[in-house]
Parts: sequence; C-alpha cells; structure tokens
Amino acid sequence: MSLPPELTPAPPAPGAVPALPEARSRTLVLAPGPHLHAAESTASIMWWVNGSLVPLVLWGGFVFGGRALVVVAAAIAGAVAAEWGALRLLRRRATVADGSAVCTGLLLALTLPPLVPPWQALLGGVFAILIGKVIFGGLGFNLFNPALVGRAFMMASFPLAMSTGWATSRPWFDGGLAAVTTATPLAALKEHGLAAALAAVQGNVWVGLALGFRPGSIGEVSIVLVALGAAVLLVRGIIRLAIPLSVLAGVAITTAFSGAPLLHLMSGGLWLGAFFMATDYVTSPRTRGGQIAFGLVIGLLTGVIRLYGGYPEGICYAILLANALVPAFDMWFPPRRVAAVGAPS
Amino acid sequence: MTAIGLHTFGRGGIHPDPSKQATSWRPIEALPPPAEVRLPLLQHIGAAAEPVVKKGDRVRRGQKVAEAVDSGAPIHATISGKVKPIEKHPHPTLAVAPAIVIARTGDAEGELEFPEDPEWRDCPTDGMLARIREAGIVGLGGAAFPTWRKLTLPRGTGVDTLIVNGAECEPYLTADFRVMVEHAREAVEGGRIMARIVGAARLLIGVEADKPRAIRALQDALPLLPPGIAAHVVPCEARYPQGAERQLVAAVTGRVVPPRALPTAVGVLVQNVATAVAVHDAVRYRRPLLDRVLTVTGPGVIIPRNLRVPVGTLVSEALAFCGGLSNQANRIVAGGPMMGRTLPRLDVPITKGMNGIVALEGHGPFVDGYGPCIRCGRCLEACPLALEPDQVSLRVEAGRPLETAPFGAHECYECGCCTYVCPAERPLVQFMQVAKSALRRADRLEA
Repeated sequence: MSLPPELTPAPPAPGAVPALPEARSRTLVLAPGPHLHAAESTASIMWWVNGSLVPLVLWGGFVFGGRALVVVAAAIAGAVAAEWGALRLLRRRATVADGSAVCTGLLLALTLPPLVPPWQALLGGVFAILIGKVIFGGLGFNLFNPALVGRAFMMASFPLAMSTGWATSRPWFDGGLAAVTTATPLAALKEHGLAAALAAVQGNVWVGLALGFRPGSIGEVSIVLVALGAAVLLVRGIIRLAIPLSVLAGVAITTAFSGAPLLHLMSGGLWLGAFFMATDYVTSPRTRGGQIAFGLVIGLLTGVIRLYGGYPEGICYAILLANALVPAFDMWFPPRRVAAVGAPS
Repeated sequence: MTAIGLHTFGRGGIHPDPSKQATSWRPIEALPPPAEVRLPLLQHIGAAAEPVVKKGDRVRRGQKVAEAVDSGAPIHATISGKVKPIEKHPHPTLAVAPAIVIARTGDAEGELEFPEDPEWRDCPTDGMLARIREAGIVGLGGAAFPTWRKLTLPRGTGVDTLIVNGAECEPYLTADFRVMVEHAREAVEGGRIMARIVGAARLLIGVEADKPRAIRALQDALPLLPPGIAAHVVPCEARYPQGAERQLVAAVTGRVVPPRALPTAVGVLVQNVATAVAVHDAVRYRRPLLDRVLTVTGPGVIIPRNLRVPVGTLVSEALAFCGGLSNQANRIVAGGPMMGRTLPRLDVPITKGMNGIVALEGHGPFVDGYGPCIRCGRCLEACPLALEPDQVSLRVEAGRPLETAPFGAHECYECGCCTYVCPAERPLVQFMQVAKSALRRADRLEA
C-alpha cells in the first residue's frame, strides 16, 4: 500500500524553516491503525508451548530410554510432513514455520506409550494433522484437539501397542535400562486394585508419582515437569488457570470416594491433558465462565471413564467429548456487556 | 477504584509502552511563523466554513477568514499576509479539500491584539458560549467536534459533572501533558467556564497517574484561583484507552454510559484539557483558536519536540523544525499511534484537531497479511466494551456483516485494543468498521 513518491514539500520561502530535504524521494506507507502491536504472535505462542514441552521430552528420554525420543521425532515428522504436503496441495500459505504442526506432533508423542513402534507414531502424526486439522479448514477451524484425534486414531488402529507398550521407568541412576512391558498404575488399579497400582511405581510411591518414575506415556509421567512447563506459560500469559484447575477439580470430585483420589490426581495423563491439551485455544471456550464449565466437564468425564468405563485412563476421550461442546459453551457464556438501552448517538 | 487506590474503568484495555520519555521533559516550543499556512475550510465535524476573504486580500493574524455554517466553526488567519486563490489542496484526512492559503508578507501588518476583558468572570453564560463559538474552538483532543455545539445541551438533558480530559492515554503523545504542566491555571479556569455554561456543579480533571507533574501542577493551581465551582484532580490508572470518554466517565464518576449513548445520558460532559485552555483564552481575551500544541515524535523524528504551531502549518515544516525524518521513517501518523491515521504525503496542513505527528520506522502490523483466528480470546479480554471482535471478524470475512449485531459491532468506537493484542495480526478494528457501516446502512434502509 505504499504510494509513489509524490511528496512535494512546501515551497521554501525566505525566513522560514528549511523545507524537508528528503521528502521528495521518500515512500510513505499507508496503513490502518493501530500502528503499534503487542509482541506476541501466533508463531511465538506456539513456539513457547513447544519450548515448555522440551523438559518433558528430555525426561521421557531419560526414564524410558532413547526409544522414546525416536517415537517423539517420528510423530513430529509425520505431523510436519502432513501439514507441509497438505498446504502445498491446497495451494495455501505455508504455515509450517508457525510451529503449530510441531506442537500437534509433539503433544501426540507425549501421550504415547514409549514402546509404540515409531512408524505407528508417524502415521498418528499424519492422521492428527489431516483428519484433526486440515479437513476442518486448517489452523483455527478444527473442532477437536488434533493431537488427541491422532491418539484416538492410534487407539483404534493399533490397540495392542497402545495398551501394552508401557515400559518400567529407569529407577534412580542404577545404570540399567528396563524396557520390560508392564502396566501403568491406573491399569493396575483397574485390574488388581490399589496395592498393585502402588507397586507399579518405582521407589517411593509419592516421589515416583511426582517426578515420574512409573510406567506411563512418554510425556505424562512427571507432574513436576508438567507444572514447570505450565508455569512458564502462565507467567508468559499464554495459558490461564481456569481450565486446568477445573479439570483437576472435576477429577477430585468424581474420585473423592473411590478409595484412591490422590493416585487418580497424580497419575495418568491428567496433568499433561489439563495444562497442555484442554488449554488449546482453538478447541476450548473463549470466556472464563465457559472455560470453567468446560474444565469441569472434562474432569468429571475423566473420573467417570476411569471409574466406570472400559479404559483405565479417560482424559483423552473426556477432552475430545468436551471439545464438541465448545460452541455451546461459547453461546452460553458470552462476554458480559452493558445492556443496550441508550439512544443511537 | 483499583486495589492501589487509583480510579480506572472496569474491564479490558491494554498497556502499550508509553514511549513518552522522548518529549515529556521538553517544554512547549513555538515554531517560527511559517512562510505559508493552508487553512482547510473543513477541519471540524460539521459543515465546511464559508470564506469571507478573497484572493489578494491582506489579512492580519487573528482576523476571521471564514464564517461558520450551521453548526460548524469559523476559521481565522493564523499568520498575517496575503490571501492566495482559494482552491483545493492536500488535506490530512479528505485527500484534497478547499483551503484558504495565506502567504506571509513580512510582518508589517502586525497581528490583531486581544486584550483581557476585565469583566470576563461576570460574562453571562450565553455570552461566553458566543465567544467560544466566535473563536472557532473545536475539540482539540482529536475529534474536532465544535466545542460550542458540544456545550449546547440537547433539550431535556442535564449535566452535573464536567470532566476535563487530561488522560492522554495514547502512547508517544505529550502535548496535553505539557499543556497541563505549563498552563494548569488556564486549564482549570477553562474547565470552570464550561462547567458554568452547562450548569455542572463540579469539575473533575482526570489525569493518568504516570503524569505526576501534571497532577501536581493542577493541584497547585487550584488554591491560587478565586473560589468557584468545586474542582478536583482525579489521578487515574495509566491504561489505554483511559482517555476515551466512556472509560474516563467510568473511571472518575463510576457512572456507566449506555451503549451508543453520549456521556450526557449520565449527566456528564467531557472536554479535552487543551480545549479547556482555548476556551479560557476565548472567554477572557476573546482570542480565537490560532495555534495548537502538538507533539512531533516517534523513532523516525531526529529531535522529538512539543511544538506550538499556527494552525495550517504544513506537517513537513513541523518535521523540518524537529530535525527532519530518519532514513527509516516510513509511516507518518497524524494523531496518536493507536487511533491516528497515516498521512499519504507531508505537504498537508496541521489542522485544529491534530494533537501529534508520530513518525514510525519499520513495518507495522499486517504487512505480511494476517493469519486465521486461533480463538485465543485476547481480543475479548482487551475490549473495554466486552464486544466480540473475533466473531465479528469471522462473519465479515464470510461476507455476512449483517449478522454481527449480536456481537456488538455497532457499539465499537475503534480504540484498537483488539487489533493491538491479536497474535494473528488480524485487522479486527477494520472488520468492526466494515460491520458497523453495513449495519448502519441496513438500519437506514429499514427506516
């Protein structure tokens, strides 16, 4: 929108201040206001989220071995390749650099069992982007969390690996790496009861649950590191507490009388889901009221699935189901305006 | 009131970098009289003024050169000299528009003098209003609405509070700040005059708390003045858009102006602080509005300054007095960087309503286009009116601007907070404008 240099300065006159010498050759830009902008962009938000997940990836590699890192790389590669290819086919502006496809692949990988074959993770990444996002119109238009769409696809397509690919975590610096297929604490809880669940955690139960010495998905095991990454995003103003806290509250309510409320709150993918999946802008309500309702629904559904459903863990499906309700939450919880009563000005 | 005791408005708003330090310490400097001024016949809201001089006339500074038409404002010669042919010239907002051009011819003619009227305090209110009208005063905060008209309340409305707006919430601008520091007494007197005219029982001066010198200057001025209408300085939180009428009314009185209504609906009238000084000069000295104070600043200006310039001075002359532009300066904004407009050329006159010239470097928002809405909700949080810019933008993009009424498009006053915070750099205010004009057109068709 720049104009040709047709800038004629005022004719110089004796006694006056000199006319602007360079005005004749300057090209001015005509732009709509405001002419200032906040620093945060879509890409910077995505890369901050990706960065805050890096400790989880590294921890997954530490406790489950290098295989976990290969799974992460495969899921990201699948997601990025799918995004790049699809946008090329559709002749859309390439948005790979905005980090959203990396984010989807990364989040998907963090929800996968460490022993999942990497090619399955790669397919999961492709599916997450194509069916979870591109089909709806790309970034901003998808109804469901793409990473969880990818995970649901893998649950349906590769049920064996997805439900048995767990590894015991590496205990405190013993040098050995145990890649033995085992059960997660929640699965043990469902099948054999509380004692078995606690036995699935390596070392001290509560320390193991907090730091992540237990079988589980690559990025879900350490709630301390999830909290650290979430704290970064909270301080940066990228996420708010409304959704994650109400998810945790919903799980606390439903599992309060299950005999193991603390185990429910500290295991499974609850923290990863509450802080990094349920807070996805595109698939969560826009206002605080809607966000609290949304979070509570996720928490309650998670608890119900865990206690009464067929799966030991329910956060993935709980978030996907609540995603479908987001348009309703947006309608039920609009921003509160002053009632329109005045005459037109 | 916030927890820290400052007055402020309810929701929304943003905290952009104020960037005022470049000029806030600089006293107002008078620009040497330019060789020529161009006085557009339309520099206010309303009908264009009617010239009362013709080509070749010799005029003196202070002399009326165009008469007000209907509810408009008259225009005065701001330098002494000779009238050139009245034709169309570049205009800061109207592309080209008719203007009276006065070429300075030495200063032999001298200027009209405006001695003090010793009985000015006893002037009846309709006489005061006539002086304000005669002086050609318009809202100097940027809106340029004729002040006499704003002071003429519609039948059936009453005002108990007059607010003088010293918030100056736009980044970079310090003109109002310097006016408050250097002309505090005149500002308070002008506020009292306007309060008397509209029958308000109190005068409140709202100033953002990041301008403690202005607050002190105004507070120091109060006891020195003869007793009159109760006046208070109200420090407000520094938050954009604190200076928007609706937000300032909420901040200093706690009253909520209904959507699409004016502050008079809740018994309040708001006037800019520089307008108040001009009103004082008009009533006390019968001096017309000849000069205005503006800030010439921004990273693209070599020596940022606060200037007092004769109205009609070219933007290029004001920039030249400030050392010119840097090589990187490419966006020249008339007004503040949030709500101002970029100028297509520099040979446009400084009009009565232009409170700043901000030269920016590098590219601004949306140069590379904009992205899809990611539903982050930042615009909802930033909107001081709790409108839904995201929903409006999606519907305008889909070609359905008439479906935006439930999201408040018609209430938007275009402060730009939504666009400022949008991470996808979506031009949300512009979508609002499209929706607003579509809704207005539909309303007219229905009526």
